[in-house]
Amino acid sequence: MMLKVDDIHVYYGNIHAIKGISFDVNEGEIVSLIGANGAGKSTILKTISGLLRPKTGSIAFMDQDITKLDAHKIVHQGLAHVPEGRRIFLKMTVKENLEMGAFTKPEATKQDFDTVFERFPRLKERQSQVAGTLSGGEQQMLAMGRALMSAPKLLMLDEPSMGLAPILVEQIFDIIKTLHDAGTTILLVEQNAGMALEVASRAYVLETGSIILQGTGAELADSEDIKKAYLGG
Amino acid sequence: MLFLSQLINGLQLGSIYALVALGYSMVYGIIMLLNFAHGDIIMMGGYFALVTYAASSNPLLAVVATIVGCVVLAVAIEKVAYKPLRQAPRISLLITAIGISLFLQNAAQLIWTANSRAFPSTSIIPSITFKVGGLSISLSVLVTIAVSVASMVALTFLVQKTKMGKAMRAVSEDTEAAQLMGININSTITFTFVIGSFLAGIGSVLYCCRYPVVNPTLGSLLGLKAFVAAVLGGIGSIPGAVVGGFAIGLAEVLFTSIGLSAWTDAMVFAVLIIMLLIKPTGFMGRSMTEKV
Ligand SMILES: Nc1ncnc2c1ncn2[C@@H]1O[C@H](COP(=O)(O)OP(=O)(O)OP(=O)(O)O)[C@@H](O)[C@H]1O
Ligand SMILES: [Mg+2]
Repeated sequence: MMLKVDDIHVYYGNIHAIKGISFDVNEGEIVSLIGANGAGKSTILKTISGLLRPKTGSIAFMDQDITKLDAHKIVHQGLAHVPEGRRIFLKMTVKENLEMGAFTKPEATKQDFDTVFERFPRLKERQSQVAGTLSGGEQQMLAMGRALMSAPKLLMLDEPSMGLAPILVEQIFDIIKTLHDAGTTILLVEQNAGMALEVASRAYVLETGSIILQGTGAELADSEDIKKAYLGG
Repeated sequence: MLFLSQLINGLQLGSIYALVALGYSMVYGIIMLLNFAHGDIIMMGGYFALVTYAASSNPLLAVVATIVGCVVLAVAIEKVAYKPLRQAPRISLLITAIGISLFLQNAAQLIWTANSRAFPSTSIIPSITFKVGGLSISLSVLVTIAVSVASMVALTFLVQKTKMGKAMRAVSEDTEAAQLMGININSTITFTFVIGSFLAGIGSVLYCCRYPVVNPTLGSLLGLKAFVAAVLGGIGSIPGAVVGGFAIGLAEVLFTSIGLSAWTDAMVFAVLIIMLLIKPTGFMGRSMTEKV
């Protein structure tokens, strides 16, 4: 098992945001977490990557307990997190952003760049451009490319389709599938439940800090409850 | 000719302000702290130079001791006083910095008394004057400008081109995202303090060579002026601190040369107020909006 989240409780001050959640991700899977605004999806990813600490419960990555590990050390273990809202370094160039993605390595090699540029040719053209001047779609590609520079074992994506035109959403999901076919394990958080369930090996449905449903992507896509709540009938 | 010599004079003072302003700006850029103890680190540096020179009569050793002393002191202050407040509101950090400033001034007074001491400026930079045409320039002026400019070039290279420099920029732009890249925030912050206080150490020696008197309040006004320079250029911006430093230095010399020397300090703060009113982000401070 690649990632095992065991009964975590996460608080923001007095707010009990995650109320005892357990799930796991096996090597080679795409696992989707879906749920409405405020369900706690981003909180879960931030807790896994070490930006937040669970009050109780544990998280294991590649059979190692990472619950109390600092965020920057978790990245070194091979876990990359593309946060909600992309969070690229707007004042740095595209190339520098990618270099930061390879920070865990002694230096970013030409091969690292080539692998990312092959996947996102647009980034190659824009290498020396300041990232703040990229379009929204390009920024998302940069955020994903940056995470791939560390050659992660597990890639966590928080709403990669947010704010993008439908054609770009298709493109982002195609890239997710390609990455998966190339062997990357993916934990995907989405509000776009239709797309997220379509690509998922398995999925979990979140509501106000708890998991209320789980199953394979296809099972959940067929479920009447899900159709009503998340797929617009 | 008089104008030219005043210009050079202003460049000398400005380059010192720029060195000090850089420390302010870099620390602000990375932890949003107006480090009001920065000027007092420079004051302590003046004493380190004085004491080391008195004991060894070795000017080079005095310079090295000043720089090392400033770096060690700044890093220790960061570890002991600022680091525990990482998650605290920014105002707590600011108040702590003011407390550290007062602490250093009082410590200096306790150790070395409040009396001013003469700084061995001519032993550190010999008082040689060059005559170029009708213009006379002292070695000390040339050394100050050359050392400052060289430091700024080295800093620019470090911040723009090295892995650690890029990490500093990443942390100052988005701490959380930087952590997600695997960047260790604490060591990056420490590194920033090392750079800032290294420049402060150099600034300390150069300042004391220009105004060769050391006392416990030496750093207050220098610190404030460098702070104004940093704000003027756009706090957090490295080229901004340099531009701001030179602007304040030149303006101060200009004011003095037209017979308003009593007004120079007031002028500096008037500049701050005017700048905050018309362009609070400074010359080089840009605000970039996030695209969706
Ligand atoms: N920094 C914070 N301080 C206090 N409460 C927070 C904070 N961040 C999130 N919350 C609360 O925690 C809950 C879960 O938030 P979270 O951001 O994880 O939701 P989400 O499922 O990612 O939502 P969205 O789809 O809108 O991104 C929400 O009720 C939110 O208001
Ligand atoms: Mg979210």
